[in-house]
Amino acid sequence: MARRYDSSTTTFSPEGRLHQVEYAIEAINNAGTCVGILARDGIVMASERRITSGLLAPAKTSEKTYKLCPHAACNVAGLTADANILIDQARLRAGRYHYQYQEPIPVEQLVEHVCNYKQSYTQYGGLRPFGVAFLFAGYDEKHGFQLYQSDPSGNYSGWKATVIGANNQAGKSLLKSEYGSSSAEMADEGEETSPDVAGALRLAVKVLNKTMDGTAAAAEKMELFTMTLDESSEVVHHILTQKEAQEVIDQVEAETASAGDS
Amino acid sequence: MSILEYNGAAMIAMAGKDCVGIAADRRLGIQAQTVSTDFTKVFKMNDNIHVGLGGLATDVQTLHNVLKFRMGLYELREEREMTPQVFSHLLSTLLYEKRFGPYFVEPIVAGLDDKNKPFLSSMDLIGAPVQTKDFVVSGTCTGNLYGMCETLYKPDLEADALFETLAQALLASVDRDALSGWGGVVHIITKDGVTTRELKGRQD
Repeated sequence: MARRYDSSTTTFSPEGRLHQVEYAIEAINNAGTCVGILARDGIVMASERRITSGLLAPAKTSEKTYKLCPHAACNVAGLTADANILIDQARLRAGRYHYQYQEPIPVEQLVEHVCNYKQSYTQYGGLRPFGVAFLFAGYDEKHGFQLYQSDPSGNYSGWKATVIGANNQAGKSLLKSEYGSSSAEMADEGEETSPDVAGALRLAVKVLNKTMDGTAAAAEKMELFTMTLDESSEVVHHILTQKEAQEVIDQVEAETASAGDS
Repeated sequence: MSILEYNGAAMIAMAGKDCVGIAADRRLGIQAQTVSTDFTKVFKMNDNIHVGLGGLATDVQTLHNVLKFRMGLYELREEREMTPQVFSHLLSTLLYEKRFGPYFVEPIVAGLDDKNKPFLSSMDLIGAPVQTKDFVVSGTCTGNLYGMCETLYKPDLEADALFETLAQALLASVDRDALSGWGGVVHIITKDGVTTRELKGRQD
């Protein structure tokens, strides 16, 4: 039945679905996993590096993490070629906003702009949607650190922690049980407290271990990114070196080993 | 009345031994009336590039914002810093794009290239560039500035001597120009960083 209604993006099916958008979301579920975690003092984004060939020469610093402006970055899951278009759009928007208002663009506004652009490909023109989901990490003065997720439909939402890409359901269930209880002291009323960046890094590695399931955790298979503020309140974007990443992986290994004992 | 002489400016950039210096006056006027004595005309674009924008003040500020925007995009896309030569070309094409309705600014670019060698360039308001090894000037008293530079300039000056030369050349030139002066600022750029000093001059 869906056959008749799935070739055009701009047509609803009788069940009220946009099949092309749903197929685009499927494309992302085959992509490398990305985890995003909001910490007290920053944001962590970890992604699975799929090294397809040893002969590949990497052109840029990362194929997953992209800086959008001094105070925002994103992680990509899906078709990289599609993502490049959207990333450029985001960079232009952030630059133009800053030019016009001499102020950094509020993170949600940047996300909304990218999402509105994605949405127009589900309603006009007969072009296919973008096969990309993003995790946006950003800081602004009004709302502090924020984490957003967006999908090909142009829908977005803010998260404390989330996963996109392959095996995201397994990742999300792990986050549900571990986020908030991973910090040493819990508030008396039992409300969840967010971890610090170091704790968030460990949790992110744990999630990747789960989603990358069959393969052993190794520093060159993961990319760990943090966004924090330095002493002069400037936003710092940092992709961990192999050595730093290995330290986090070792810490997680030690934790899980000792947890088994107790 | 020339639109390029509406607000007033005086700027020099000079090359030294593995260093460059760029200096400008501090006056902002509306024709004869002085309005500000701390108006910034020299802008740091990155560790290796300073640009001096002299001319109509509104265009000085707008062009600075446009250049910041363009540099930001370049750095995001290319994941590296702009070199002075590239910046100078960008500025030149930016200005020519407004060929029939130009920015009333005559900029000078000073920096250290990727081999830490001095780079100097200047251009007219529609982007015709000129690259030199010794010095470049711009503003409402270029006659005075050229004269002082030709007299005082020596190649391969060290940073401290370069500062003295720049400072004396600027201060002496602006005294005979009603539209520039009211103090000065000098930036000396070496591979180790930038030293900025304010100049005490005749406050008239």
